Amino acid sequence: MKKVVVNPQRCVGCMQCMIACATAHSRTQSLFTAALETPTPKPRVHVGAGLCGDGFPNRCRHCDPAPCMLACLPGAIHRDPELDTVRIDPDRCINCASCAMACPFGVIRYHVDPLGPPGKTVAVKCDNCVDRRREGRIPACVEVCKSGALTFEEMGAAMKRQTDAVARSVASEVEGKPAIPAGVALHRALRRASWEMNQERKENSHEG
Amino acid sequence: MALDYVIIGNGVAGIQAAETIRRLDRTGHITLIGDETHLPYCRPMISMALEGTIDFPALTIRGPDFYEANAITPILGERVAAIDVDGRAVIIGGGRRVPFHRLLIATGADPRPVAAAGLDLNNIHYMRSQDHVRRMLASIDGARRATVLGGGLVGFKAACGLLRRGVGVSLLIGSGHPLSMQVDDEAGAMLLAELRRRGLDVRVGAAVAGFEGENGRVRSAALKDGGRVDCDLVVIGKGVRPALDFVPRDRIPVDLGILVDARMETGAPGIYAAGDVAEAEDIARRTRWVNAIWPEAVEQGRVAGMNMAGRQVAYPGSLSRNVIRVFDMDAMTAGVVTPDDDGLYEVIRERDAGGRLYRKLVFREDRLVGFTLINRIEQGGVMTALIRSRLPIRVSRRRLLAPDFNWSLLLP
Repeated sequence: MKKVVVNPQRCVGCMQCMIACATAHSRTQSLFTAALETPTPKPRVHVGAGLCGDGFPNRCRHCDPAPCMLACLPGAIHRDPELDTVRIDPDRCINCASCAMACPFGVIRYHVDPLGPPGKTVAVKCDNCVDRRREGRIPACVEVCKSGALTFEEMGAAMKRQTDAVARSVASEVEGKPAIPAGVALHRALRRASWEMNQERKENSHEG
Repeated sequence: MALDYVIIGNGVAGIQAAETIRRLDRTGHITLIGDETHLPYCRPMISMALEGTIDFPALTIRGPDFYEANAITPILGERVAAIDVDGRAVIIGGGRRVPFHRLLIATGADPRPVAAAGLDLNNIHYMRSQDHVRRMLASIDGARRATVLGGGLVGFKAACGLLRRGVGVSLLIGSGHPLSMQVDDEAGAMLLAELRRRGLDVRVGAAVAGFEGENGRVRSAALKDGGRVDCDLVVIGKGVRPALDFVPRDRIPVDLGILVDARMETGAPGIYAAGDVAEAEDIARRTRWVNAIWPEAVEQGRVAGMNMAGRQVAYPGSLSRNVIRVFDMDAMTAGVVTPDDDGLYEVIRERDAGGRLYRKLVFREDRLVGFTLINRIEQGGVMTALIRSRLPIRVSRRRLLAPDFNWSLLLP
């Protein structure tokens, strides 16, 4: 089964996945009309700033066993075997935040969901775009990602790609494309360099 | 040979154990002895039935076919009288013996009784089971003023629930603020202010000497300082204590709870304990502790079940933790909340100017061992995971405290 794979070293922090996700989980399904909806559709993938301000698309890992599912008081969280997806039933959810305390990745948010019961604050997280998948479409975050930070592929293939990349990094004669495109690598290198310079300046000013 | 598994207790620890055993052992006989006759239900949610936000059927967490689908023989409405450790049998009412090869004690806890005069008056309740809440609701009609004893989780939720039902509530707390076992003084003061703002009459440092009534119904509570609080409904929420009266202490070592090892096994081979009745190693406190909370009962039940069915799995230890939404205020805490001032711990805090946010982290050496978050609690699970994994913290501690903290900050 194909799954969304996160390749954090490719993320440039553009947050387009967040916009696409919010749109995919809106009632009107179009960016321009979704922005006018009440409640405002919200993303279920969260690009957080890492140590050097570099991006990281943080989304539900659909763990097995899932800590949120074990912690859920009303039994509102279940695994959908069809797409191997951990889903929250907004009608059963009581907004107790027990799942927030259980999720080791911090990917669950609490708000009124445009697709859930009107006016009810519930726990909301990635659903692997089950509705799109049933229409034969790939998850919205992957579709919009330009840098390859989010891919949709067989886990075995993704693992092999990573293993090959490691092999290339130690033996240059192994053929294939670089693990990170040159543009993305440059962008991230510049970001890290500017962060390091800032750190140095801060340290110097403390000493001064 | 098919094994006989006996589980005492049909709370969540017992249910998780039974389901886990059934997944690993299709042929063993599972007998589940339960005090309560309801379908398995969610105990922490009974306060929601009290406040009226959900119906009693919504408390149910397993369907009517639960016992049959898992080939479990239920014996409900029974409390265990004794365990014959050498004879490998549990003794229930009428001297009936239920033999076992593997036994799980998951009897949970009972409300801690209070010493006060007049406890035999009507309309004085504990709040531990859904039957307790049903009885409270039966006596709520005509009740105008309630007194709730205890500012712990139960008293706290009872007070909020009754307030939402339109009953005036006096919450009597022995300590200086509510949830004194869960939060520190500063967060406690924030919670206290929020409760008072919502119309709750909270009296700190208050203790009840007895109750007085007329025609058998409670009418007032007499305080130890000589004061008096009018009330026609009383809820006692002074904590719980492990339900282990039937446990032979000379054969199964008991401290506050039943002592268990990393496989949830007690001192008696083949006899396990899980949930509110068990006392396991506490990850943050680094000592044995009874953490009588729902998520631990779930985990301990699963681990006990796996080990009982022959799959050796180690339990990493328990961790106290709670999350509470109080009107518009959210509070999440875990591990060591108020450390001893013995130089072992380092505490860092942050507050916002508006008084809405409060965050506190407690470190011991290079590890996170506790936190308190008031509002913005979404990343609390990451911190809980940091405590449980016992990983050394390599990033700046101030970054952990910042409102924009997120999981990617932990990446190398």
